[in-house]
Amino acid sequence: MRPLLRATNVPTLYPKCTPGEMLGLLVLLKDHKGSQEIAQLADDLDLEIDEILPSVEFAEGLRLVTISDGRLTFAEEGKKLVASTIRGRKLLIREALRRTPLYQTILKALEAAPERRLGEEELGRIVSFTNAPPETILNVITWGRYAELFRYDANEHVVTPLRQRPQRPAPPAPPPRGAPSTAAREPPGLSQPPKIAPA
Amino acid sequence: MALIEVQGLVKNFPGRHGSITIMDEIGFSVADNDFLAIVGPSGSGKSTLLRLIQGLDRPNQGTILFRGRPVEGVQLDMAMVFQSFALYPWLTVKENVALGLEARGWSRERQEAQVERYVNVTGLEGFEEAYPRELSGGMRQRVGLARALAVEPAVLLMDEPFSSLDALTAEGLREEVLQLWQDPALPPEAVILVTHNIEEAVAMADRIIVLSRRPARVLAGVPVQLPRPRDRKSPAFYELTDYVYSLITEGSAPAPLPPSTA
Repeated sequence: MRPLLRATNVPTLYPKCTPGEMLGLLVLLKDHKGSQEIAQLADDLDLEIDEILPSVEFAEGLRLVTISDGRLTFAEEGKKLVASTIRGRKLLIREALRRTPLYQTILKALEAAPERRLGEEELGRIVSFTNAPPETILNVITWGRYAELFRYDANEHVVTPLRQRPQRPAPPAPPPRGAPSTAAREPPGLSQPPKIAPA
Repeated sequence: MALIEVQGLVKNFPGRHGSITIMDEIGFSVADNDFLAIVGPSGSGKSTLLRLIQGLDRPNQGTILFRGRPVEGVQLDMAMVFQSFALYPWLTVKENVALGLEARGWSRERQEAQVERYVNVTGLEGFEEAYPRELSGGMRQRVGLARALAVEPAVLLMDEPFSSLDALTAEGLREEVLQLWQDPALPPEAVILVTHNIEEAVAMADRIIVLSRRPARVLAGVPVQLPRPRDRKSPAFYELTDYVYSLITEGSAPAPLPPSTA
């Protein structure tokens, strides 16, 4: 059996924010042409720096942005993300989460679990490897659901693999109404149905 | 013909010392493809105005014409997004989104397809079976938005839709609403956004109706001709925001329109 954790791949990154908060930060950074001091971004929203730091840290962890000298700047993936549609953003975040040790571990554990069900206790144990506080499990579940990496049953408190959806081709993108929009459409190759972690 | 024509609206409410006029001779029109924002001080009856337009309440005087016909009763071709989300806690996301379709007598099969489409465009996939309590505020408002859009309304009414959200989430959701609005494959034909946030109005709308303090009158209709996507750091954006702000704070004395927007 494949070990759940490799010593070289200990997960330390975990979400401290919701998807909506991080997306908001990225949109704000786009308004600043892709690079701005973190203090200025917080000031823009009348927030304290520590109120936006959870989103800043997770966006950096997902390699959507880089931080240098207190300045936040888009990485290529982040630039691509804000230029995408709502659906396209979700798919890019799915790919980014899949690269994190935390979600890799969860998906592997889900594959290996009896009946492919992961209870909150097991999930909590995996999350604790990141040294995250226990309540982080809620954010971990939210991001996993948002990115369609797994399903969650709130009545039974279990994570299960995503049901395969029938593939529906994305409709061709019509030209935007009114003034020209810079919103790019979904990047090619991201429209496949969701795949569970490779076995 | 305008999509909506509001003429001479007067609305009174019973008060402790007799009736209070909260709206006095309000008039404006909404065209196809209009994104209209209504701003004004709190208590200027902005939410009441939306309720009158949808036919949920009746004015004491004046008329509202929708496609040339007087609004007398709830308009099924309009849908509302609420500040409080107004979701049913005992229904799942899918069931909440289907509510308006149920009320319009859609078959189960058509409902399913429609719900899937609007869950998809609002980025709610993965939460179909979730209950509202499992969702963050931003996700809840996406459900409110999906439910309103699913009935493919001609007019989308939004009552302070971002005011209950934290600042970051609101920032993201505003941009997503604009993304949906700019997609001609999606409804609605027009949006009326009520907000107390002037910057939000300037960032989103094509035109801003500025209401006065109670009793509310229309102080001005301000066109926003800044190109999209709007640069909120541009001088023109600042000027226009300032202009609307001073209209509201100074009441009736309209300063000249800033040259960059004329």
